[in-house]
Amino acid sequence: MTNRQRPALIASLVTWPLVLLIAFPLLWMLLTSVKPQAELFTTPPDFLPNAITFEHYRRVLEETAFLQYFRNSLVVAVSTTVLVVVVAVLGAYSLVRFAYRGRELLASLVLFTYLLPSVVLISPLYLMLVKLGLANTLASLVAAYTSFALPYALWLLRSFMAGIPEDLEAAAMVDGASRMGAFVDVVLPQALPGIISTALFSFILAWNEYLYALVLVNSDEARPLTTGVMTMLISAFNIEWSLLMAASVMMSVPLIVIFAFFQKYLTSGFGAGGVKG
Amino acid sequence: MVQVVFDKVRKAFGDTVTIPGLDLVIESGEFVSLLGPSGCGKSTTLRMLAGLEQPSGGRISIGGRDVANLPPAERDIAMVFQSYALYPHMTVAENIRYPLRKRGVPKPEQATRLAEVAALLQLEPLLDRKPRQLSGGQQQRVALGRALVRDPSVFLLDEPLSNLDAALRAHMRAELIELHRRLGKTMVYVTHDQLEAMTMSTRIAVMKDGVLQQFAPPAEIYDRPANRFVAGFIGTPSMALAEATLLRDGGGARLQIGAMMIDLPGRHAAAAPCAVTVGIRPEDIVVGQGPWQALVRLVEPTGHETIVALEAGDLALTARIPGGPRLHAGETVAFDVNRARLHLFAADDGHRLALDITDTTPPRSA
Repeated sequence: MTNRQRPALIASLVTWPLVLLIAFPLLWMLLTSVKPQAELFTTPPDFLPNAITFEHYRRVLEETAFLQYFRNSLVVAVSTTVLVVVVAVLGAYSLVRFAYRGRELLASLVLFTYLLPSVVLISPLYLMLVKLGLANTLASLVAAYTSFALPYALWLLRSFMAGIPEDLEAAAMVDGASRMGAFVDVVLPQALPGIISTALFSFILAWNEYLYALVLVNSDEARPLTTGVMTMLISAFNIEWSLLMAASVMMSVPLIVIFAFFQKYLTSGFGAGGVKG
Repeated sequence: MVQVVFDKVRKAFGDTVTIPGLDLVIESGEFVSLLGPSGCGKSTTLRMLAGLEQPSGGRISIGGRDVANLPPAERDIAMVFQSYALYPHMTVAENIRYPLRKRGVPKPEQATRLAEVAALLQLEPLLDRKPRQLSGGQQQRVALGRALVRDPSVFLLDEPLSNLDAALRAHMRAELIELHRRLGKTMVYVTHDQLEAMTMSTRIAVMKDGVLQQFAPPAEIYDRPANRFVAGFIGTPSMALAEATLLRDGGGARLQIGAMMIDLPGRHAAAAPCAVTVGIRPEDIVVGQGPWQALVRLVEPTGHETIVALEAGDLALTARIPGGPRLHAGETVAFDVNRARLHLFAADDGHRLALDITDTTPPRSA
């Protein structure tokens, strides 16, 4: 073995066990979701199912409110993402480009709110939302998730935008664009990798959040997947493992699809963000 | 006719005044360089003309039109930036077409103009590339192309050559002179490189601390610097400046520099005796003959000429002599100065003294 191969080998030895460790529960979830109920509790457990059934998927989709929860989650996650991206893009641009009193203080305060544990904010946020008449609505979840995601998004995009040379906008304005036109033509394309990261971050946060969904919402009309699946399949006496796994697989699909689609932007973007022309 | 006028233009950032009050009239078709050390306000002046900075006071007009409330897009200008500011996500062709696209020029005409500019700047093989795939010189040409494509009334250039290597810079300098000659457009060029300013400009505006020091053609700036700052700033190696005393001598005048006494025949020193600063250009020192002695401190041969640092008592001088080195450091040589080409400045505020003798000089030998 040459010296050159050694680091690669060591890297493989470290990464493969890690990958297996992380992937195994996912694989187990997938396998469990297609095993017949009878196979679940055999000892020793069979790794591969003897028979494959999609019965659990049918039951989750037909006999439960899964689709309602799925729709709720989708509405909440998409709304949160759009809201966070729009506000954070404009906010970050303002923090980077415009000079005004208290700009740095504002930026620091925003970051400071991100440092507070979210549990601390549950009660005040709940009371505020009740007063606003938003209790038990999807809007309450969007408001709550936006308040967590926004500070981080603002800082992420701020550093992205700080890397975009001001000359580019000046050039666009001299070339005939308005300030808004320069923003759209030059700043947005340059900040695209940052915007995609921000959108992914917000979407995942809203899609996976559990605690706030549990506190703020307690009707099926507004329950998202995380709490919905839990309440319908886990009771004090029984856990519907097969259905739970089938639901979990379906919950994971949107994230996997989104990641697969945006991965190239994420990896290609971070290297190329805002380099001088 | 596109005249550019700065009328008492003032710029302050908070309490810091960078340009106290600038008056400058650039005639149509001129190539004017704003020249000065960094922080002299030349870039700010250009950015105010472009509309990228708002003046704190005064009036700027382009072609007789007050541009105070016009955004950059409506000033009919084009600008080349020091960083080139090419749009990284667009190809070369898209970069050059952008100003046309923003102004709603029809597609077929866009294509024609792009082809013209690409041919002019030899950009045809590069049109489909992204800026990051180009060399510095190629990027510079694309930036120039983006400015040329639209036929604006004024071109603004902000140190466009400073990121190029020396050979390419010399080449682009020649190209820009040729371009200006061919287009006949008003160009305003910001630089800290006096060589660029001297070679390219019809007139140079020398600035220091936001104040215009002199605005004149290159030859006049060199031969009759308006004050001590311009005298020391223009010229490489720079003019030797020394404290001296101007004395009356019968009908004429005399200059005393340390132990040296220089007769200035036929000149009148009305206010003499008075303290002055005398300036001597390197080419106005004659080495090898003359009434005074100096120690050779340093000899720098550049090939076609030799720069010699001399020391005569307290007076440090730099001489430029044609040809290869004939002197050695440490030896003592005789020297003389070309009296007709001495520059005199007031000792207090540094303005050029009217008792001026350069007018009668024969042409420079160098």
